[in-house]
Amino acid sequence: MSHPITGNRRAVLIYSFVWLLISATQGVLYHFILQFPLSVVVTDALISSFLFGFLGLLAWYPTRYIPFQKHSPFYSILAHVVAGLLVLGAWVLLSVAILNASFSMQDKYIEFLNNSIAWRAMLGSLVYLVLVLVYYLVTNSQKLQERAQQEERLKSLVREAELSMLKSQINPHFLFNSLNSIASLTMSNPDEARDMIIRLSDFLRYSLKHRENEFVPLKEELGHMKDYLAIEKVRFGDKLLYEFEIGAECENFPVPTMIFQPLFENAIRHSVYESTEPVTIRFSCTPDKGYMKTTISNDYDPQVPTRKGTGLGLQNVRQRIQLGYKEKASMQWTGEGGVFMVTILFPRIFT
Amino acid sequence: MSEIKIVIVEDERPARDLLRTYLEEFPDIKVIGEYDNGFDGLKAINELLPDAILLDVQMPKLTGFEMLEVLEHQPEVIFTTAYDQYAIRAFERNAVDYLLKPFSRDRFRSAISKLQGRMESKPDEGEKESSIDRIRQHLAQSDEKLHRVVIKKSGKIHVISTGDINFLEAQDDYVMIYTDEGKFLKQQTMKYFEQHLDPEQFVRVHRSYIANITRIERIEPYEKSNYILILKDGNKVPVSRSGMQVLKENLDF
Repeated sequence: MSHPITGNRRAVLIYSFVWLLISATQGVLYHFILQFPLSVVVTDALISSFLFGFLGLLAWYPTRYIPFQKHSPFYSILAHVVAGLLVLGAWVLLSVAILNASFSMQDKYIEFLNNSIAWRAMLGSLVYLVLVLVYYLVTNSQKLQERAQQEERLKSLVREAELSMLKSQINPHFLFNSLNSIASLTMSNPDEARDMIIRLSDFLRYSLKHRENEFVPLKEELGHMKDYLAIEKVRFGDKLLYEFEIGAECENFPVPTMIFQPLFENAIRHSVYESTEPVTIRFSCTPDKGYMKTTISNDYDPQVPTRKGTGLGLQNVRQRIQLGYKEKASMQWTGEGGVFMVTILFPRIFT
Repeated sequence: MSEIKIVIVEDERPARDLLRTYLEEFPDIKVIGEYDNGFDGLKAINELLPDAILLDVQMPKLTGFEMLEVLEHQPEVIFTTAYDQYAIRAFERNAVDYLLKPFSRDRFRSAISKLQGRMESKPDEGEKESSIDRIRQHLAQSDEKLHRVVIKKSGKIHVISTGDINFLEAQDDYVMIYTDEGKFLKQQTMKYFEQHLDPEQFVRVHRSYIANITRIERIEPYEKSNYILILKDGNKVPVSRSGMQVLKENLDF
């Protein structure tokens, strides 16, 4: 938050104008009622106002850095009293010293000046109080504005997250092509058609759990991924091969539901969809120190120019892992030598 | 009724089986070939000269759309696809039909009877050609961004990733595409490429040139108030005054 006065040209003008007004009032009083010479009057008014004007700007900082919301009222008031005393002390001492030195010949004025210290201090504290109140008003309204903006940002973030969540769910292209395969199988192989409908139903039911963001044992998640792959295998036949290699310690390791689905989908999209030769998708899970290390890899042809959709599924998974595990899990991918591989390290202990 | 020769281009076996089963009841239709990717389909269609093709859109190597772009022989087209996109619906009037997967036997019958109607009315060659041309025009109007360009060069089909393009140069009704692997002539307008290439990467720097800004080595002054781009491959591309403005905005200088 910038200084509400120095950070804004209009505020500087208004602030200066107010102080000129105060100087003028003081000058009129001194000249016409107390009968001091004009030179003395103008100098006193300007020096007092200029100094206070400058020191008053500093009163912003205790307001800014000791907000009432964060500390006890006692602490905040104490801070303001101390800051106020410092500012006022500096103001009175400096202005009186300068004026004393400037007009040492004018005995009558010097006497008046030294007698006026008490009420100068009183008037000064009043002005100081008004300034602090103004600063509080400004901070509060700025904070309200900022909070409204922040809420707006948060809302749009949540919307985006929901949207990408939906996007990461089942690809309609997959669904309609699978249904088309089933339509074909009903004529050529009704038994297989029935199996495929059941697999598809199981997989869809599981994917709806995705929203609840719960954890399941790895073997359960992979069971559903095998359903998914089996459905794709009906479409692509021997072109799609897959291998699973899962350490015994991994089987019951809890993972977020559907966390691997976008990765398998990605693997299929960039290998099987783009290839006329058989491709193999491999999954493995092994313990690795404090982590469970999972990898998914697929062969791909680096010569084939990629089509759209690259990276979105990967980003979604990475986002979910970051949100769910903070800094404790990591995910990376490489695409060297015609093999694309995604590695995720899950922390073995996570609460 | 004369025989209608059909080629099926579809990458999924069950989907091909379905089409063949549905076709069994039409004695006047003969399937003369089945292909599971755009490349093989393209070659076969140019050789076998079928009357019509049943064409999937998403396929390995070459999509159905990309295949149509470079097809020499111009059969009637029935799209079979899982997509329900505006771009495909727009073909409705130009393609014989488009079938959204999964489709019923009745829906398939109506597509075939439309095809039979077209074959019987026997449009002359010129009119038939224009139906694929119109599909091509619709493709050019769709606002989907280009990720690769398909080009036929001395009998071979090249699929070029747009990221590999260094720059493009207008040549009458054609555009010359320059890559590290050589240059390729494509029958297309500069306006099309300006609208369909990723604007983050490609800038129309001149009336006759579009440059890939990631391939710029340096920009040098050239005659009075003009500039010239030196690309990483050594090629030089002239920049017009308005092109320089766009470049400044894109490269932030």
